[in-house]
Amino acid sequence: MKKRDYQALVAYLGLVVPGLTVYLVIVAYPILYSMWLSLTDFNPNRGGSWSLVGLLQYRTMIQDPAFWHALKNNLTVVAVSVFGQIPIGFALAYILFRKLVRAGRFYQSMVFLPHFLSTIVIGTMWKRLFQADGPVARLLQILSGDPTSQFDLMLRAETVMYPIGFALIWMYTGLYMIVFLANMQKIDASMIEAAKIDGASEPQIFFRLIVPLLSGTILVATTLAIAGSLRGFDLIFAMTTQGLTRMNAEVLPIFMYRTAFQDYSNPMRFAYGSAISNIIVVISVALILLSNYIGRRLHAGEEH
Amino acid sequence: MKKATVLLLGLLLLLTAVLATAAPKVVVKTMGYGDNSNPEGVNWLRIVAAFEKANPDIDIDFELLYDEAYHQKVVARLAAGDVPHLAYMGADARWGAPWKEAGQQFDHKPYMDPKYYDFKLIPEMGPKGEIWEIPLGTSNICTVLYMNEKLVKSLGFAAPKTYQDIAAMAPAAKAKGLDVVSIDGADGWAWGSCLMSMVIARLSGDAHWVSKAVEGKYKFSDKVFVDSLAFIERMVKDGTIASKSVLVDYGANLSNFSNEKALFMVQGHWIAGSIENPEVANNTLMMAWPKLPGEKSATAGSVAAAISIGYGITKAGAADPKVRDAALKFLQYFYSHAETTQRLRDGAIIAPVLKNFKVPDDLPRLVKQKVGLAQSAMNTDVIDAFLSGAPNDALNAGMQKIAAGQATARKVAEEVEALRRK
Repeated sequence: MKKRDYQALVAYLGLVVPGLTVYLVIVAYPILYSMWLSLTDFNPNRGGSWSLVGLLQYRTMIQDPAFWHALKNNLTVVAVSVFGQIPIGFALAYILFRKLVRAGRFYQSMVFLPHFLSTIVIGTMWKRLFQADGPVARLLQILSGDPTSQFDLMLRAETVMYPIGFALIWMYTGLYMIVFLANMQKIDASMIEAAKIDGASEPQIFFRLIVPLLSGTILVATTLAIAGSLRGFDLIFAMTTQGLTRMNAEVLPIFMYRTAFQDYSNPMRFAYGSAISNIIVVISVALILLSNYIGRRLHAGEEH
Repeated sequence: MKKATVLLLGLLLLLTAVLATAAPKVVVKTMGYGDNSNPEGVNWLRIVAAFEKANPDIDIDFELLYDEAYHQKVVARLAAGDVPHLAYMGADARWGAPWKEAGQQFDHKPYMDPKYYDFKLIPEMGPKGEIWEIPLGTSNICTVLYMNEKLVKSLGFAAPKTYQDIAAMAPAAKAKGLDVVSIDGADGWAWGSCLMSMVIARLSGDAHWVSKAVEGKYKFSDKVFVDSLAFIERMVKDGTIASKSVLVDYGANLSNFSNEKALFMVQGHWIAGSIENPEVANNTLMMAWPKLPGEKSATAGSVAAAISIGYGITKAGAADPKVRDAALKFLQYFYSHAETTQRLRDGAIIAPVLKNFKVPDDLPRLVKQKVGLAQSAMNTDVIDAFLSGAPNDALNAGMQKIAAGQATARKVAEEVEALRRK
């Protein structure tokens, strides 16, 4: 090896090895450990011997009604994020960008405000709003004239995701609004002026100019929304109480937590929990690939 | 300049020599229970500071957590192999399970002074009579009925002797916009620990029906358990418990009672010290549930109670004699008569497990009632001290569904039994 090549190799390794080591230890090792754990009956809390059980945990999972219930709830959260937070965030950003309301800065701050608050505080606040004889129940009692009316959507598995979806939109829409607004502000104003001179209406400017120009940003936001929704734990955990409401609103991360950290009746609970977390990653990757595919079909992110 | 350098070097050498010869501190890695605002946490901080001042060679290296965060961290630390030497723990299916599973339970009995601790008041926790933790008090009574005596009298009633007496108060309470019995029904565990544990013991006449059912000697689908669950339906129908209770959490339940929105409250003994309205606290009677319809005489007047939680040394802590002895020294300090008296005053315990303990005469009224209840009522099983995991989750959610009118007692009972068998 020539001296120059050797020096280049040392420099190369010097640059790559520290980062690679950190990546392997912090990112790759837990992923590989989780994959291995899901194929065994090992309980790290108990320690001792273990054996490979193949796909037992995955078979148990697909036969478990709680898994399908949690998956359904998770997909609802994804739908709320993709078809709720992003369109609303986009529309709000457009309203602010085009200065269609007065005091735009005020509204911008108000919509983004939830991001300054702890998720646990927000979850607790929504829980208080929905409690027996709480503010929402009082409003219902006034509107219906029935003093016994209660807000009981959280008590039913088929309706629990409505209030949770509402809270999710309230909390996260501001983030997407800011992302879209920042990108809209980079659009060349002369393009909009030209469209107006050509006689384009406001909806035409929105749908034929702004949306195509920001399609790449929408795609990135969709990816973030999907990934965030599938690992979402804190808000739903804080909004619900141990028991019926949490079981009704259970999403995959909470199901994983309940299984691995609380179900002492299952000696393979950590292995089962790992299988659930691996499936969360698989579903997340699949949905992101799907959104990218749809984005490509719609020519999202292409230069205009 | 040279002199100054020599002097500086000399000082450095001296300092190094002092540091090198000083005995290293014994570090006791500890998991404490409480937060910075509640009596448990505040007292913990005070006790540790005082102990370390009196024992400069011992460092109580603690992590203080409360409620769900504590349980999560216990599991995470044990799974990661980061086992504390000393921790707040229990010996049942909820508080003891992670320590048992990790093989970290350590028998304290040989190290406990029989002249200091009253072994008659400390239940056996292991199969060979082991004591896995030193309980803070004699037991945790979970099914206390708190009555606002003044409010009940204002409606023209007296302390109930039977359930029917409570049901008779419902129309008058409803007319005044009051709840009869407030329960934190949004918390699944409250139905099991604070209500059903008492009902099943009373209706079956067997103080240990739950533990026997978990062992398979009884079935959760047996008629007596179905009847016990159906008692919730009856309470909702009678108006003694409102179906909206399922939307009331722990804090709201306490607030309802403290703000005189309910005649009675169901909770454990530990909540007595949290009734913040002094007028209500002074007018509150703590009692066992009155006679239920269909209850058996063998368990009449009983309360469900679990082994009290306390601090215990783990096997990891006991492995090093220096750490074990330091932890035992701290425990002796923590369980001193003075600190136990403070716990009694705070309402954290029912009665101490110490010998020759003199109960102060000036204890608050509620605390005296609590001691009386502990001395007079028969203790029965608490459900989640024996039942855990999916069957317990299904039972808790099932009772909430019954209260909300979404499920029948039989359906819930069969689901729990099916999960227990699985």
